[in-house]
Amino acid sequence: MATKRIISQEKSILEKDNHIGSSPAASEKSNIAPAVPASVIFKLLAFTFGMIVIPIGSYYVTVDNLFSGNSTYAGALAAIMANVVLIGYILVAMAEDQSDREEEKRKEGKKDK
Amino acid sequence: MADSELSPKFAPFLGMGGIAAAMIFGSAGAAYGTAKSGIGIAGVGTFRPDLIMKCLIPVVMSGIIAVYSLVISVLIAQDLMPPSGTESHYSLFNGFMHLACGLSVGLTGLAAGYCIGIVGDKGVRSYMLQSRIFVGMVLILIFGEVLGLYGLIVALILNTKSKG
Repeated sequence: MATKRIISQEKSILEKDNHIGSSPAASEKSNIAPAVPASVIFKLLAFTFGMIVIPIGSYYVTVDNLFSGNSTYAGALAAIMANVVLIGYILVAMAEDQSDREEEKRKEGKKDK
Repeated sequence: MADSELSPKFAPFLGMGGIAAAMIFGSAGAAYGTAKSGIGIAGVGTFRPDLIMKCLIPVVMSGIIAVYSLVISVLIAQDLMPPSGTESHYSLFNGFMHLACGLSVGLTGLAAGYCIGIVGDKGVRSYMLQSRIFVGMVLILIFGEVLGLYGLIVALILNTKSKG
């Protein structure tokens, strides 16, 4: 009879799979909050996309339209645009650090009260 | 195809070599910078995952080095075209000049990537322990990055001579 008790109490592997199929958070509490927040991932994806597209895209857009075939200026512009993306990334990373610190301060302030 | 003294048949070979040198060496430098600083970021991320965003700066800078090589390769590739008719328009001067363009941007990219890799690895690990290192690390990275930029500037200036 012992075996019957075990069957009734513990879920089989197939039953556990059912939860994964629909929504794991609905039935059981598990920490599924991503280690990296979604906003950070969006920023990283945006910068990755920008890093690929902006320099070479600005070259091809401006070489004939703005610089009338002078590929040197267009190449210099592409290099500048790559650096603009870098500076933007550094600024965003700095801002992120500051917002993190402010949040920590806010939390600490609440704890003190 | 007439083989003149100023534009011999092998001149395009040198220009192609310039394209290859720019892309190969530049990408090698960018790969070293990305990989070496990536090791450091992986080491930091296990202890302080909140710092990863700021620690990715060396990786972005390595990417820029590859962009420099890409720009020069595209510039050189636009000047190259297969010989048409009886005259070969691609002079030996252009061949050597494109080789110099490619080598200057490629090898300075290699140097800058090497610098960014080492500084990125050590700097990121130190930043985990002492947050004031960040500004210094970014400055050193920028100075390393500028090495590649100098190569790009020289290559761009050289490339203007081909029109004459």
